[in-house]
Amino acid sequence: MGQYLPVVCLMILAILFGVVSFVASRLLAPRRPSAAKQAPYECGIVPGRELPERFPVSFYIVAMLFVMFDIEIIFIYPYAVSRQELGSFGFWEMIAFTAVFFAAFVYVVARGALDWGPVHKYRRLDSAVSAERTLSSTIRRVGTEGRLDEKAA
Amino acid sequence: MVIAIATPTTTWYLLLAAMLFSTGVVGVLVRRNPLVMFMCIELMLNAVNLTFVAMANKLGDIGGQTTVFFVMVVAAAEVVVGLGIIVSILRRRPGATADDIAELKG
Amino acid sequence: MIVAAGTFTAPSIDWFALAPLLVLLVGGLVLLVTASFTPQWPKHLYAYATVALGLAAMVVAFVQWHAITRDGPKLLVGNAVSYDHFSMFGIITICIGLSLSAMVTDDFLRREGMEGPEIYGLYLMAAVGGIVMVMSNDLIVLFLGLETLSISLYVLAASNRRRAESQEAGIKYFVLGGFSSAFFLYGIALIYGGTGSTNFNRILTAFDSVPLQRKDSLVLVGVALLLVGLGFKVSAAPFHFWAPDVYQGSPTPVTAFMASVGKAAAFAALFRVFVVALPNWKDDWRPVVWVLAILTLLVGSISAVVQTNVKRMLAYSSISHAGFILIGLEAAGHSGASTRSGMPSSMMYLMIYSVLVIGTFAVVAVVGRTGDGATDLGSFRGLSRQKPWLATALTVFLLAQAGVPLTSGFIAKFGVIEAAVDEHSYALATIAMVSAVIGAFLYLRILISVWLADAEVGDEKREAMHIPISTGAAILLCVGFTIYVGVNPEWLIQASDRVVLVAVPVVGG
Repeated sequence: MGQYLPVVCLMILAILFGVVSFVASRLLAPRRPSAAKQAPYECGIVPGRELPERFPVSFYIVAMLFVMFDIEIIFIYPYAVSRQELGSFGFWEMIAFTAVFFAAFVYVVARGALDWGPVHKYRRLDSAVSAERTLSSTIRRVGTEGRLDEKAA
Repeated sequence: MVIAIATPTTTWYLLLAAMLFSTGVVGVLVRRNPLVMFMCIELMLNAVNLTFVAMANKLGDIGGQTTVFFVMVVAAAEVVVGLGIIVSILRRRPGATADDIAELKG
Repeated sequence: MIVAAGTFTAPSIDWFALAPLLVLLVGGLVLLVTASFTPQWPKHLYAYATVALGLAAMVVAFVQWHAITRDGPKLLVGNAVSYDHFSMFGIITICIGLSLSAMVTDDFLRREGMEGPEIYGLYLMAAVGGIVMVMSNDLIVLFLGLETLSISLYVLAASNRRRAESQEAGIKYFVLGGFSSAFFLYGIALIYGGTGSTNFNRILTAFDSVPLQRKDSLVLVGVALLLVGLGFKVSAAPFHFWAPDVYQGSPTPVTAFMASVGKAAAFAALFRVFVVALPNWKDDWRPVVWVLAILTLLVGSISAVVQTNVKRMLAYSSISHAGFILIGLEAAGHSGASTRSGMPSSMMYLMIYSVLVIGTFAVVAVVGRTGDGATDLGSFRGLSRQKPWLATALTVFLLAQAGVPLTSGFIAKFGVIEAAVDEHSYALATIAMVSAVIGAFLYLRILISVWLADAEVGDEKREAMHIPISTGAAILLCVGFTIYVGVNPEWLIQASDRVVLVAVPVVGG
């Protein structure tokens, strides 16, 4: 037991040091909290309510698939251990199991659950926008007239 | 320094499982966060797993242990489906509790 | 502790006997995979495929019914699955429910703009789970079937992502369903500990040599927990709280599926467990079932009176129907499974009720209009003037649910009450009849709205009701079955009487 004494002492010292520093800073530092100090941003519009966070579902789907494959191993592992005893019956049983599992996987991939990144499909907006609207008719060029006026003044 | 350790018997495990199960039951009934309620259900299932293993050990029977595999798989499937439903609700209404989800009444 | 070397013998698998299950399972997988590769194919093909698979499984089950009549029942796959008339009757009920629900779902999905193969895939998987439950001869197999069914139903309940109500139904069903599954599983664990097996035959014979231990408290607690778990699934009072919310919130065809296939499978499981595996403890569970039946009947019929939403009313009516079937269970508990008793009448009740409830919810789905929201009683006012045939069909279904003679509902209710009287459960039979009368008030309230009330103010501004072809066909089939069985019930009664023979477990292998 004696040889561990220095380690124990050091551990106690380390814990004490941490505790003392926390307590000291709490006691010594001046604390004058105000709403402005605690705001997440120093300037800009004060948020009125908590906004819903953006939640990319693809993360969830990948986690879900991970769980399913994790679970598949639960069945494959015992089979691997006692493969000899189970013989051909066990083999075909595992083939059937894996086939069903694979069908689900094919479905998941075909439905695009593993497609990451931006969607590379552009939709044409011909039907949504009338034919008269073109780039030159829709976008009003601003700035030049105003600047001329400014120069004149 | 000698600490006397009693040998755990099957009853100990069964009692522990019963306590875990009751914790889960109380949790589902008391807590209002859908995610926590869901964790409590998982706790109940795992208490059952402990019971199965303890019983299998006592009976010297492999059946109870293989059952645990199936229970784990079922629990995982429930996790996936349950979280899916919870995610789709929380995307709509962040921070919803079981009391907020009460549009159906009568 | 893995299998000791040399002790493993592969169970022989009778593929033909498992055919209804395999048809639906393989069909469901092929449907999902094919559909995800061929998004350009017309969407109603999925519904046709589902109906075809349901019918195929049903035809196979009919062939097997006759094979069993000829060769006798047997146990399959290491005594874990039973192949008997009970299974086949249950499978046929489930396949009827599956096919009719799919017909209604097709039009519904098109109207709501949520077409896709997923719902049908889930229907098929749920039906597979239901069939496993019906055929199970082992508590673990039963549990796996139960979970396959339940998990599919959770997703189905929440499948309308645009309606908050549907999501809410999903989460409520999920939390309470998971809760009850855990109870059920704990019951299995304790019974396993008490009897040393989860196999029905082994449980049945566990205490043959040592009869004194029959009161083993572990097993008794296990039986109680099994009853709680299955009570949740069949929505028996006092475990019925989820049913009204879930029935109201789910998409209407899904509600129909839940009330037919879900309920039939859960009740079949209840019969399997209690009548087949646990008759030795019948003196313990029968009084509990007696109380449950009475509570369920009264809660179902009395709470329904104050409701204003038709889907909710039908949910309570479904609870009260569960009470009637529990009467059958109580009667079966009296006499065991081997005589003319509650079991055949309950199975017949389940088949008749499945058809009725799908027909009723099909009408509700049509009246619900786009958005699936117009299901309050007011939306049904003046239905007889806008769609007289639809109103007539609804009338047939509701009268049958009330148990009016010359409809199938009368045969069903008469069957279980007769079984109760045969077993001298006069109190139960009386309460059942009283609650049937109270229940009739509920159906009359809907019928008065349909036939006597004028349409709501502003109703003409709403979207016109539209009866699509396959929904119409499903309603017509349901009406036909209801009236045909009501007028000519002998064949169904004779068929269901055979269900009795199977309840005795066959020790094989």
